[in-house]
Amino acid sequence: MSFLKRVKEYVGDAFRAAKYIGQGMGVVFDHMGRRPVTVQYPFEKLIPSERFRGRIHFEFDKCIACEICVRVCPIDLPVVDWAYNPELKKKELYSYSIDFGVCIFCANCVEFCPTNCLSVTEDYELATYDRHDLNYHQVAMGRLPSKVTEDPMVTPLREFAYLPKGVIDPHDLPAGSQRAGKRPEEILAEMRAAKAAKEKEAKAAVE
Amino acid sequence: MTKAGIDLQLGFETALQNLGLGAGAAHALWMPLPMLLLIIAATLGVMVMTWLERKISAAAQQRIGPNMAGPQGVLIPIADGIKLLTKEDVLPILADPVLFTLGPILVFLPVFLCYLVVPFGQNLLISNIAIGVFFLIATSSVQPIGLLMSGYGSNNKYSLLGGLRAAAQSISYELPLALSVLAVVLMSNGLDTVGIVEQQSGLGILSWNVWRQPIGFVIFLISALAETERIPFDLPEAEEELVAGYQTEYSGMKFALFYLGSYANLLLASLIAAVLYLGGWSFVVPVETIAALAGIPLDNPFLQIGAAALGIVMTMVKAFIFIFLAILLRWTLPRVRIDQLLDLGWKFLLPVSFVNLLLTAALKLAFPTFFGG
Repeated sequence: MSFLKRVKEYVGDAFRAAKYIGQGMGVVFDHMGRRPVTVQYPFEKLIPSERFRGRIHFEFDKCIACEICVRVCPIDLPVVDWAYNPELKKKELYSYSIDFGVCIFCANCVEFCPTNCLSVTEDYELATYDRHDLNYHQVAMGRLPSKVTEDPMVTPLREFAYLPKGVIDPHDLPAGSQRAGKRPEEILAEMRAAKAAKEKEAKAAVE
Repeated sequence: MTKAGIDLQLGFETALQNLGLGAGAAHALWMPLPMLLLIIAATLGVMVMTWLERKISAAAQQRIGPNMAGPQGVLIPIADGIKLLTKEDVLPILADPVLFTLGPILVFLPVFLCYLVVPFGQNLLISNIAIGVFFLIATSSVQPIGLLMSGYGSNNKYSLLGGLRAAAQSISYELPLALSVLAVVLMSNGLDTVGIVEQQSGLGILSWNVWRQPIGFVIFLISALAETERIPFDLPEAEEELVAGYQTEYSGMKFALFYLGSYANLLLASLIAAVLYLGGWSFVVPVETIAALAGIPLDNPFLQIGAAALGIVMTMVKAFIFIFLAILLRWTLPRVRIDQLLDLGWKFLLPVSFVNLLLTAALKLAFPTFFGG
């Protein structure tokens, strides 16, 4: 009898395995009907988030050649070429450059720049055929970034965090659909309203 | 039922003989035609399969897959072929040149030889030999020798391991495969593929062998997957452990032979599954019944051409259902370990296929009308 019992268990195991394989295949088959979430890169591009740290933008006229950017840079990357002009009693900036082949895009320089002459852009397509082309001087760094949303050849797609609640596919979103949660300006308006109400209350208490 | 359907060979040879050629010359002129056609058809089938594999894999992973080379990426197999043809043929410095070259050929040739007996219609096969199924099994058994040769001749530890695994796997799954096929042979009283299909074509879908051989069908599918080295059983080329197994050192046209051979093998296994269990070229409802209902005589030439076309389409549809299942399984199941593989083959499939064979024999004795008398 124990032999028959073992046979029974064995057959049961086999059927259970077959059932699980069937369930697994069902899952895979179900996935086949879903729309690909692929962003087809040169034709479709994701819109970088507002905190995206891309290529650094530089404004020559604002720079006071203080070299703080060099000091806060983890690898002392920016090259600031200046000389003291005794007539003006000021530092005169000759050239400014950052090698984006070495830059780690931490944006510390942007964070510490006293005159805000540095800023981060949403440019990330920096590929070149020669690594020396990545060494941007002040003119190259002064170029305005191109926007994905303004390129007529590109379909801009929203990143995952900017999709409405429950949506995982950025394609074919209905017009005017908002992302999940509150937008920054809404939070700001709420905070202002709350502050105003508090002040009003305090005023009323004083009177 | 003896000579239903069109006989292209007879027509071609009589036409040539009417032109004044001898019978032997006419036959010699006829012979290369179906062979060429079959090689082209098998290669085309492989190309379609590689494209399908990419597309279905992409769909299963919610990707798009090839979409730039031609509409829906249909030119990808051609690009693949051209790439493999133009690549340098590398011979590793310490490899055995004879074994290294002979290996892929020995893997590739048996598969294409097996296509000789695959029927697409009453007379739409190259040779209706009386030992058809036996020929299939015997010829495909040559493959492990080629795998072992290429694994040994590459002078690479991964290749050697892959070759050994391939040989072990092919040999251990050949037995359940042959035994499940034997049960079908038992029911149809013959080894020829045409006879097996004709035996199933009486009542359309109801008389297909799947209903009488469900266990055999499942065993056949599992062993065929193992024989073709597809994913739950792709140990010989397990890329995470063995780089590419016995294919590691190969490039260019020799690699293409392996590639072509493996896909042609899958197509062959699917075609055989269709022939043995899904009624081959027969439609869901027998064509004869449809013709009788529509009042068309059976020797109507248009009916015969239509029936032949339908037969080819039905065979391919049935084969591609199995190919689709194989691709779906690829993205469902993880790879088994070598001990699990041999466990499944020797401790499960082999006893079950023996039981299936005995059961079939018993049922044949008990109910000769249903199980072939």
